[in-house]
Formats: sequence, C-alpha cells, structure tokens
Amino acid sequence: MSNVLLQGISKSFGELEVVHSIDLEIASQEFIVLVGPSGCGKSTTLRMVAGLEEISDGMLQIGDRVVNDIAPKDRDVAMVFQNYALYPHLSVADNIAFGLNIRRVKKPEIKRQVADVAQTLELTDLLNRKPSELSGGQRQRVAMGRAIVRHPKVFLFDEPLSNLDAKLRIQMRAEIKLLHKRLGVTSVYVTHDQVEAMTLADRIVVMHDGRIEQIGTPMELFRNPANLFVASFIGSPPMNKLSGSVTVKNAVPSLDIGHGASIKLRSDSVSSDDHGRSIVVGIRPEHMNIEPGNGPGWSEIPFDLTLVEPLGSEALIHAMVGDTPIIMKVETRNEVSHLNDATRFYVQAEDVRAFDAETGKALDFTVAG
Amino acid sequence: MKDKLIWLNKHFRREWQIYVMLLPVIIWFIVFLYKPMYGLQIAFKDYSIFRGIAGSPWAGFEHFYTLLDSDQFLRAVKNTFVISGLSLIFGFPVPIILALMFNEILHQGFKKTAQTIVYLPHFISTVIIAGIVITAFSPSSGVVNLLLSKLGIEPIYFLTKPEWFRPIFIGSGIWQEAGFSSIVFLAAIAGVSPTLYESAVVDGASRWQMIWKITLPAIMPTIIIMLIIRIGNLLEVGFELVILLYQPATYETSDIINTFIYRQGLQGGQYDLAAAAGLFNAVVAFVLVITANMIAKRYSKTSLW
Repeated sequence: MSNVLLQGISKSFGELEVVHSIDLEIASQEFIVLVGPSGCGKSTTLRMVAGLEEISDGMLQIGDRVVNDIAPKDRDVAMVFQNYALYPHLSVADNIAFGLNIRRVKKPEIKRQVADVAQTLELTDLLNRKPSELSGGQRQRVAMGRAIVRHPKVFLFDEPLSNLDAKLRIQMRAEIKLLHKRLGVTSVYVTHDQVEAMTLADRIVVMHDGRIEQIGTPMELFRNPANLFVASFIGSPPMNKLSGSVTVKNAVPSLDIGHGASIKLRSDSVSSDDHGRSIVVGIRPEHMNIEPGNGPGWSEIPFDLTLVEPLGSEALIHAMVGDTPIIMKVETRNEVSHLNDATRFYVQAEDVRAFDAETGKALDFTVAG
Repeated sequence: MKDKLIWLNKHFRREWQIYVMLLPVIIWFIVFLYKPMYGLQIAFKDYSIFRGIAGSPWAGFEHFYTLLDSDQFLRAVKNTFVISGLSLIFGFPVPIILALMFNEILHQGFKKTAQTIVYLPHFISTVIIAGIVITAFSPSSGVVNLLLSKLGIEPIYFLTKPEWFRPIFIGSGIWQEAGFSSIVFLAAIAGVSPTLYESAVVDGASRWQMIWKITLPAIMPTIIIMLIIRIGNLLEVGFELVILLYQPATYETSDIINTFIYRQGLQGGQYDLAAAAGLFNAVVAFVLVITANMIAKRYSKTSLW
C-alpha cells in the first residue's frame, strides 16, 4: 500500500505535448479514477505511472521513492489492460503465475498463491483452461488475478471493462469495488465511462485535452462541477445548459434565462458590475420537477414538450426552452400519461449552477433561498 | 432437381465474373499438372519415342525393380534425404532466429539496411549464386582459400571433395534464402499484440524472457505450418544449384534423385526409367506431407488441412 504523487507531470511526443503538467496526490489505499473523453491523456498518464511511457517532465513518486527513472518491474505496480493481455498459449494457472515465474518464486509457493487468488476470483475450476476457452468476464478476472497475485503496492487499470457487454460490465464493476475494499491496495483506474467513475471512485479526476479539469469525490463533482466541461461530462443524461445573463433590477439580482423565466440570486453574492454578464445556467435533469415543491426557493420555467421516454420507474422528458433542448428526469410512480401535459418545470434554488459563458468556469453566485 | 437447375442458371448469370476470374487457375492446373499426369504411365511402360505413349507396351513394375537394384539410384535417394535433412536441421531455424533478431533492432534505419542486405541474395539467379560460390571457393583466387593461406593452411579444392559438397551446398542455400524466408516469421511477430509485451514488462520480464515466453509461442503455429510445408518439399532439393555445383568427383555425396532423373532421362534418353524415379519421388513426398500434417495435428492443433 503506497501513496502516489504526480508533480508537474508532462508528456510530449516529439513537439506535441499531450499531457500538460499534471499535479495529483493519491493517498494510500485510495481508489482514484481518471476519466475523460478519448484523447484526453488519461491513459498516457496511467502508462507513465506504470513506466510504459517515459515521463517528459515532472516528478513521479510511489511510496517515498521517486520512480521517474526506475524500470516498470521495479516500481512494484501491477496493471490490468483493456484487452486483458492474456498469453494465449498458457493456461489460466500459468497466466496468473507468469509474473511470479519471471521473478523466480519457488514452485510450491507459486502454486499456493495461484490457488489463493483463484479462490478469491472464483477461478479454481478454470485453472487448466486456455484463455480462448473463457468468456469475456472470466478473462477479465484472470487478468485481475495476474495483477493481484503479485501483491503490488499500486494497481493500475486501463479501461478494464470496455470490452465487456453492458450487463457483465455492471457485475465486474461491483467485483472490482469489492476487491478493492478487501485488499485495500491503492488503485488508479482509467475509464471514459462516467458511470464507472462515479460508482468506483473515492475521488474522480476529470481530464480534458491533457489537463485536469477537476478533482473531487463523485458527489462533489456531481453537485459542484468546476466548469461546464465537468458539468456536462459527469451525470447521465448530462446537465442541461441554458444561456442567460445577470440582471440587477432594483438592487435585486437574478439570472435571466429569457422567455420570461428568471432565477433570483442572493444580493450579497452579486456585485453591481455583474449586471449584463453572459452566463450559462446549469440544471441537472434529476433536479427538474414538473410539480412545484413545498417551501420557498422554487423557480418556475416554461417549456415546449417534445417527447416522453418512459424508463419504468422514471421517465425522460425531452423539451425545448426557447431554442435550447433540455432533458428532464422525473419519477413516474407507475404513470406516465400525465407527463404529456407538462408545460413548465420547477427547480429549487440550491440545485441551480451558474457558469461564465466565456470561460465556462463555475461562478459563485448564490441562488436566493 | 429442376429447381436446382434454375437456381444454378440464375447463380451463373449473376456471378459469372467470379468464375471467369477463377478460370486461369483452373486452366493452369489442367495444362501444367493434370495433363502431364497422362505421361506418368511411361513409368509402367517400355517406352519408345517412336511408338508414342499409347503405343508402347506395358512393362509393369520392371523399372521400379531396376531402380531399387541400382546402386546409383539408392545413393541418390540417400543423398537427397541426407542433404534435405541436414538443411532442414541447420537451415530451418535460421530464418526464425533472423526474424527474432530483426524484431529486437530498435533503430529503424539500421533495421531496414540489415533486412535489405539479407533479402538481396534471394533475388539473384541461381546461376549467379553458383558462380559466386565457385569463385569464392576457387583454390587459386577464391576468397576462402586466400583467408586460409593467411592462416598458413594449404589451399583446399573444396568443390572437388565429396566431404565438402554438403556444407557448401547447405551453407549457400541458407545464405540465399534465410533472409527472405524470415519475412513470414516477421509478419507473424508483427501480429502479436503489443500489450502482451507491455504486460510482461510490468511483470518484470527481460527481453530474453519475452522472446522465449511470448514471441516464440505466439509464432509457433506459423513455425509449424512452415515446417510441414518444408517437410513436404523435403525431396525437392534445389536441383539447379546441385547441377551447377556438382561434378563426377562429388557424385558420391551430391547426386540426388532429381539430378539422377535429369542424367538418366534427358541426357541418357531412358524416359521410362526417369519417369519411374520421378513417380517414386512424388509418392514419397506425398506420404511425407500427410505424415507431417498428421503429426502436427495431433501435437499442436495446427495443420495445413
């Protein structure tokens, strides 16, 4: 179990810099998920930690050791690859034992450890099979077994579930989480799937264009995204974005989103200079209600309904606010027909986020309660 | 039945282009492989060019008995097996080793130059190769004897000594073909997933261990297929090179079935005897391919068919 420290880590391929000076501190036993769209540098960052890519600039520390120039095998990390990287000619047992064989661990010891790991991962009956005789989920388990058996200080996962079908992915996701709970090994996990990130991570690192956009617990990112990118990347369906501006009328500030709809702001969070400032209002689909709630602090916004998609316990309502398409997620309580008559949604002040229209950065406007 | 005919008719009308493209191959097979088989009956006849194939009287297995009684033929069979057996043992691993070595070269420019140099002899005509070999091993001006004389060794008449024929023949064969044959194995290596190596690197494998534990097992199916093909061609010793390099003084070790057929049949005019020797050759080769394939199937799950 070790902490991992990335300080000003950069990666360039020739002239092209793909990872720009990343700072990240991973605590011992923590489960960190690097998430972002493809090409955002998350895999490259992971591969630098593994030692498969040279670090162009910055310092990487695992435990109390700077490992920039230390060979992958001496970093005491184990990696699980997207395509499992199982050796097709070796049995499951030999695949799991590969790393130990390389390290010339004694035969009886290898046998014992392989049996241990096989039991943990429910692979005991499959030990004599070849990878080609396994299902996708079983292959994934073997790949994890190969990592676990080495008792590394850090686990690295490179999109390990991407090749599995949706159902199996959910099952393996839970298994990985349980495994981490049991073994408590520091883990760095790369994925492009925000659901995986939300469910697995102690902390999520959202990356975009080789930079870190935000680091935080899943709920922090969900509640308080630092910018529009994080806001639209985390959550499914993504956060709705409505353009508007700040108006201060009679010393009462509000977020004006057009079509006669506006959201009141607390006067102490806005200065008079903000008047007329272009902003983007972000509201999560889950926070839009088609019936007004009790108590103060509710805003009402009219829309034109386009489509209702029932999903069972909940439904997605597609609608237009002016020219902007929005998606709402509402609970159905076994009935969807009434949703077709909806003409406005209600949102509570604390669920509204404001972003600067130009920079996309979150603004600390406080919505009036 | 009628439905089938209608279907066939439709099928040909729709897909005739494909059959037209197939035609040249079929014609090639008929003209060059199946039609000559008609001439195989010469092996069982007392053949005379004046009477023609159909007109010559049958002779049963007489020519085969003659062959099996002939010391010259038995010597040729033995030489064929020894030469191809030795070149299999010494020559077969060389392209694999070359491919593994090329794969380890990181500098692209050096890699390409090295590959070009070893591929080059393949494109040189056998006659030129023989010329180079004869020149290099010449007792008076050959580079080999010059080197030997520098070491104080008397010049050796390599090409007239029976004991030197096989090493020279097999060596020059390896020099000519090993590089080019390595392409197949290089292609197989290129097909190995890079993550297998990355995973091994993280697990702590050295390059040597990666060659033994990943690359070699991964290209084993290719190696086996190439080995089966090679065993099938065991009797097809590069006969042009033998003709160009051998001389009566070295017949003892150099005369092979094909050169025997050439001398008896074409030079000596004994077409029936030569045809019998050729047929013998073909039957043995056929048995070898089938056996090799069966063995490969049983032990490695890889086979030609």
